[in-house]
Amino acid sequence: MRRIAFLWIGLAAACVALGAAAAFETRASRLQAIKTVGIVSAIGEEMSLTQAGLTRLGTTAQSLPIGAWALDELIVQQATRLLEGRFRVQPLTYRRAAFAAIRDSAVAPVNLLRSDPFKELVRSDVTPQGLDAYIVITRARSKLGNGRNVEGVGLAEYRTLLADYGLIHALYEVRIIDGKSFNVIEKRAAGPLDNTGTVPLAGPSGPVDEALGGSAPSERLRAAVVDLITRSLPVTFGDMHLIGG
Amino acid sequence: MMHLDEAALRLSGNARLTTAVLAALGATLAITQSAVAQTAFTLPAPPFDLPMLPSPSGNWTVMVGIGGQYMPDFVGSKNGKLMPIPIFSIRRAGSIDQFRGPRDSASIALLDVGNFRAGPAFKYVASRKADKYAELIGLGDVKAAYELGGFVEYYPVDWLRLRGELRQGIGGHTGTVADISADVIVPLIQRLTISAGPRFTWKSTKATAPYFGVDAAQALASGLPMYDAKSGAHSVGFGSQISYRINPQWEVHAYVEYEKLLGDAADSPLVKLRGSSNQTTVGLGASYSFDFRIR
Repeated sequence: MRRIAFLWIGLAAACVALGAAAAFETRASRLQAIKTVGIVSAIGEEMSLTQAGLTRLGTTAQSLPIGAWALDELIVQQATRLLEGRFRVQPLTYRRAAFAAIRDSAVAPVNLLRSDPFKELVRSDVTPQGLDAYIVITRARSKLGNGRNVEGVGLAEYRTLLADYGLIHALYEVRIIDGKSFNVIEKRAAGPLDNTGTVPLAGPSGPVDEALGGSAPSERLRAAVVDLITRSLPVTFGDMHLIGG
Repeated sequence: MMHLDEAALRLSGNARLTTAVLAALGATLAITQSAVAQTAFTLPAPPFDLPMLPSPSGNWTVMVGIGGQYMPDFVGSKNGKLMPIPIFSIRRAGSIDQFRGPRDSASIALLDVGNFRAGPAFKYVASRKADKYAELIGLGDVKAAYELGGFVEYYPVDWLRLRGELRQGIGGHTGTVADISADVIVPLIQRLTISAGPRFTWKSTKATAPYFGVDAAQALASGLPMYDAKSGAHSVGFGSQISYRINPQWEVHAYVEYEKLLGDAADSPLVKLRGSSNQTTVGLGASYSFDFRIR
């Protein structure tokens, strides 16, 4: 009886190992087969303003339009620069608002079970079609404090009894979508940088020093967001094995 | 760029946030170089990925630690015991540690809309061995129980958590348990948080009787009078905890939970004659976190 149990366990382990090896082959070979890519970016149309910690009842997040900052164009430029050593990067036409409008379901299993909404959008909304893969960069979400979510580009304030903490964030996730089957080959949220500060977020963020005023504040704010993106994009692409880093 | 400046000025509905935004707009955005999440070591990429699961590449945070808890020998006991509690967790770097109360069951938030969370919950209730404590001689053993159910959690504001759990026991008891709690969570500074709030527990007859009922055989063997424990309010209490993050690596915490047994649990001869309806649990612990990276 015991021998049969061991045999079953061995068989199950072999199946898992073979399945895993097959999956590895699939993902690795899919990435290796990619020659032409296009890049979609849809995180830079608005900036959220969020408070957490000791807040008043009814405090809700607000948002500001920042389309004039042209962050998505900058992200496409940065990504192109990083990827063109390995891939032929082609410019794309797409409706940015359609990509920015997609949200994850609040019910976690739904996100696992439903078809990825971005792959449908790539199939229907992006031109030209027929590239080997599409790199899609969209907003990611993180908890701030206990009961607040923040996403995308934003400013957040964490209020405590004795001090308030400001932080700026650029939370995004990257998908590699197969250009033929439109399956998601890989999906990864950008991780926190090494200088995240005392208020942790699950993505690129940094503290805001409120000590000094100055001229052209929005340019400085934009520069800080750009800095977060510029420093995190190579790391994220590296984690996804898109580039050597 | 005027667009953002003007929009910020229009945020009159929330003066403080506006102030913060304007301050931030006028600020020097000092992205300090105080390394917080430096990785301790880097592991090579795994030779394969598991199907359906995301790639493990990236930064991970491991937390290890040790804690101690002084708690009643068994529910209703007037004596206590000290128990070591290991602390271990592994998560994606940057994942946020949500507030958690010492009495919370293990749970997973399958539904999460920011200020409202819900999902399955599980609690392990240790067995009660009659030969371990003199007060229990003659009452027989109660096997370990596994309570499965669900939880809901609501934050009307970021500093107030309302939580409810409903669980069904299997094993040592086969009854239903409902827990309700509220916690006011006050961050004094970002690294130092205190919380406190009331608790209430209701238990069905099948969840109460195995621990507080005394049948004829048990009465004969233990010398206690027969007692038929029924459902109802089980306990009311108060809990408080404090946690301090010394630096990005080290954190210490302490807590106290007081529980006053009510109803048939409090009236049980086991509690009235040999134990106490006042139940206090005190705990403290320290943990160390470090990051590692998988290529």
